[in-house]
Amino acid sequence: MLTGGGISAVCMSRLLQFIKAVERQGQDHDRQENHDPAEASHDLSPRGIDQLIVSRHDTSSESDVTRPGNLDGTEGKKRRKDRNGHSTEGTFHLENELHDLSDDADYAASQLHGSVYMTPSDSIKTSASAEPEGAELVYLKDNVTIHLTQFASERISGRLKLIKQGPSLFMNWIPYKGQNSDARLSEKGILLIIENIPSLVLPYIFLLCMAFVADKNLYTIRDASFSDVRSIRRHTPTLGWQYIIIVMSSGLAFPPLYFYSGGVKEFIATVKQHIFLMRSAEDANVFLVNDFESRLQRTLSSLELPRAVSVANLQLESTSVPLGELPSNENQDISHANAADASSSACLYNGRARQKVHDPARDLSIHVLEKFSLVTRFARETTSQLFRESLNNGFVSANERRAHSLSPVDFSDEPVYEAEKVPKESEVFPDPIELEKMTLVWGQPRQAPLCLKEWATYLDSEGRVMDSKAMRKRIFYGGADHLLRKEAWPFLLGYHAYDSTCAEREYLKCIKKTEYETIKVQWQSVSAEQAKRFTKFRERKGLIDKDVVRTDRSFPFYEGDDNVNINCLRDILLTYSFYNFDLGYCQGMSDLLSPILFVMGDEAESFWCFVALMERLGPNFNRDQNGMHSQLFALSKLVELLDGPLHDYFKQNDCLNYFFCFRWLLIQFKREFEYESVMHLWEVLWTHHPSEHLHLYVCVAILKRYRNKIMGEQMDFDTLLKFINGLSGKIELDSILRDAEALCICAGEHGAASIPPGTPPSLPLDDGLLNTQLEDDIL
Amino acid sequence: MATTGNKSINAKLVLLGDVGAGKSSLVLRFVRGQFVEFQESTIGAAFFSQTLAVNDATVKFEIWDTAGQERYHSLAPMYYRGAAAAIIVYDITNQASFERAKKWVQELHSQGNPNMVTALAGNKADLLDARKVTSEEAQTYAQENGLFFLETSAKTASNVNDIFYEIAKRLPRVQPAPNPSGMVLMERPAERTVSASCCS
Repeated sequence: MLTGGGISAVCMSRLLQFIKAVERQGQDHDRQENHDPAEASHDLSPRGIDQLIVSRHDTSSESDVTRPGNLDGTEGKKRRKDRNGHSTEGTFHLENELHDLSDDADYAASQLHGSVYMTPSDSIKTSASAEPEGAELVYLKDNVTIHLTQFASERISGRLKLIKQGPSLFMNWIPYKGQNSDARLSEKGILLIIENIPSLVLPYIFLLCMAFVADKNLYTIRDASFSDVRSIRRHTPTLGWQYIIIVMSSGLAFPPLYFYSGGVKEFIATVKQHIFLMRSAEDANVFLVNDFESRLQRTLSSLELPRAVSVANLQLESTSVPLGELPSNENQDISHANAADASSSACLYNGRARQKVHDPARDLSIHVLEKFSLVTRFARETTSQLFRESLNNGFVSANERRAHSLSPVDFSDEPVYEAEKVPKESEVFPDPIELEKMTLVWGQPRQAPLCLKEWATYLDSEGRVMDSKAMRKRIFYGGADHLLRKEAWPFLLGYHAYDSTCAEREYLKCIKKTEYETIKVQWQSVSAEQAKRFTKFRERKGLIDKDVVRTDRSFPFYEGDDNVNINCLRDILLTYSFYNFDLGYCQGMSDLLSPILFVMGDEAESFWCFVALMERLGPNFNRDQNGMHSQLFALSKLVELLDGPLHDYFKQNDCLNYFFCFRWLLIQFKREFEYESVMHLWEVLWTHHPSEHLHLYVCVAILKRYRNKIMGEQMDFDTLLKFINGLSGKIELDSILRDAEALCICAGEHGAASIPPGTPPSLPLDDGLLNTQLEDDIL
Repeated sequence: MATTGNKSINAKLVLLGDVGAGKSSLVLRFVRGQFVEFQESTIGAAFFSQTLAVNDATVKFEIWDTAGQERYHSLAPMYYRGAAAAIIVYDITNQASFERAKKWVQELHSQGNPNMVTALAGNKADLLDARKVTSEEAQTYAQENGLFFLETSAKTASNVNDIFYEIAKRLPRVQPAPNPSGMVLMERPAERTVSASCCS
């Protein structure tokens, strides 16, 4: 499995060294943990790697979490004492009297049936491993799920348990076995990485790669002690699933846990029964656990130091904790957080002192973040932190990393303040060769386009798409053969439902054709006399007439005088401007329609496909530019996340409005590639795999591709715009798509959280009035 | 603003005007000597630069070509802010485009840089048969508003270089005091320089 063609002997020996080291650690850990022997296999099958990663996770970063059954109670108590400076048990009774949850309707209700979930027989019957001696299962809930992506297209379900041992309460969330997450990279992906990367950084890359392979277990929560929990935030939306976010004292949080089968109330109530829980004064949906810090901080306020605080914590008004009071692992953690911060990730880990002066976008970021994700410590360590430091922070940190790279298992024992040595702004550009290689390694190889024959295998006998996800994924990696586009595009655009039959689609086609004709007649029937008194119509028609004759005229389909397809473009656009009179016609729409008409051929079908596309991209053309602004904003956040130095460069050069990417976003790169490539790119983007907003990662990928040139030549805004416009026709699509996929995976939840809800091409959040453009007095 | 150094002037110039008036065609004719019948619409903005030699200096134009649609109007200030010169383009075969040009003139007068050199270009002058805006009407309007006016044709290249050359001549020479050679005051508006030499 690990015999990559291009790998040098030195490189290989280092890799083996590393693997052995990881294995050793895994073995040690397995002995400690008394795991199921099947899980403790030490071969390097993906399963083995999963396990190793989980082990590393547990030993290196979660050692401050007390575990029932393997650490004795004294150590657990001692640690709590270290953290809080006094005995926890003593405080329980004292404050319990002051804060009572009995006025909470949820709590009261839960008292009635909370115990239903706590039958011991359940735990024996369903749990793979019995609870340790003396531990009592007090809560069990199935179908508790985390969403890997913003819209739950990728999710991992598992079982949530609360376990009581002595005075302590622990939480477990274990993903169901055999459930594969789509975020996994294949073994092939690993091989590819080994073949391509510089040998010195290889162990890190490998680690990172394994993190992705292991992503399912990455999210596993094992024996998280509530003594380390700071707060629980409850979300019970009227529509959609209830979820909770658990924030640890370290400032980190577990990903939101969605209770598909309900049970948030019971969960809170159960926790309340066993540990001290207090409702936050600021937010009734936030329950503070072990809220002793405020008192501690009063006495230590003079020592206030900046510290990594998660967004959820900011909301709880928690302030800094002196570093000296924290266990060493905690310090370790902070150094990583600062390293991440060094690349100016304003939205994720703000020091208290800094956040006050931060940009106004912060509130939005916080809102979004809080809503969608906070990641586990391990995910952050391996992905963001490694990724940023190796890729972005230039020679200094990269070399420091390399110095450690021969013994990567010692990674967690780095000096506490090492991260502070990382320069905040890269004075020296990172090695371009290494950078370019590294940005290329993660995306999967592109495949041949999906052909008609293969397409047929995705359909059942009546023409339904059986596994739309698999189909979309297939198109994501290879696009569609041109002959297939006419079939596939209506699905991808959302005009056809995946579960519709051939017959249903034929029927729909007839209905929709009539419907189209009805709308078309609305403007066709405007007489010359009527038009004289209908300025808006005349102007709209004039504008469309001007644009269609200059849309893709060098492309054979639209070439030549009196081309009927030009007329067809005009008719569809004019009909659309009546169908969606509020939005009307806007420059750029003819670009979006052109390939659709070319592919679909039929006027009415093209119209409805265009309508479906505009459902998502319509906000791009709003008079207030809100669709464009939210995309440009998200883009700036993603560059900040994925290329700190470039972000800083743009900031210093007043380029943060990212207006040089306006054309890319407005018409989905239509002007940047050859016609065939545009069609390919669009169908790839329309699969919404691995993100609905992959187009933003495409932007980042292109910018990263040219980052050295941009910074090296000190381009100002004008020059940059000229340069970016001049890239048209020069961008190699496949490699950019691979980079974009890799960046999207690397950005993970951080990336998703950088994109405000409702950002095109997401469907609009509010489906009331689509476009209220009452002030649109001209067109 | 135009700035100088060694008799070379950098001047930011912005093209404004209605959809399809020929802004991009004018600038592409000037910068690349090209013309395409169906020049695609401008999305966002495009940036070009071209250097022109006039009697006393070398002027490097940094040209912003903007999208014409009213919908994108709100972006315009970003481009004309700080511009030393503007060309407001209309289509002589389209009365509405002339009206739109007047709106741009008003906007620049109220919002733009007061020393901005502003030219009015009646483009598509080759389409005489379809003319809707007379030369006299535009000339009168230009004089009243302190603009200089030329009818241009990006297609035939008529007056295209000339209009940029005229702008170059009218740009204020802001130079260090000891150097009097570069001091050229604003000339009378609407002066035609028939013999303007075309550059590059």
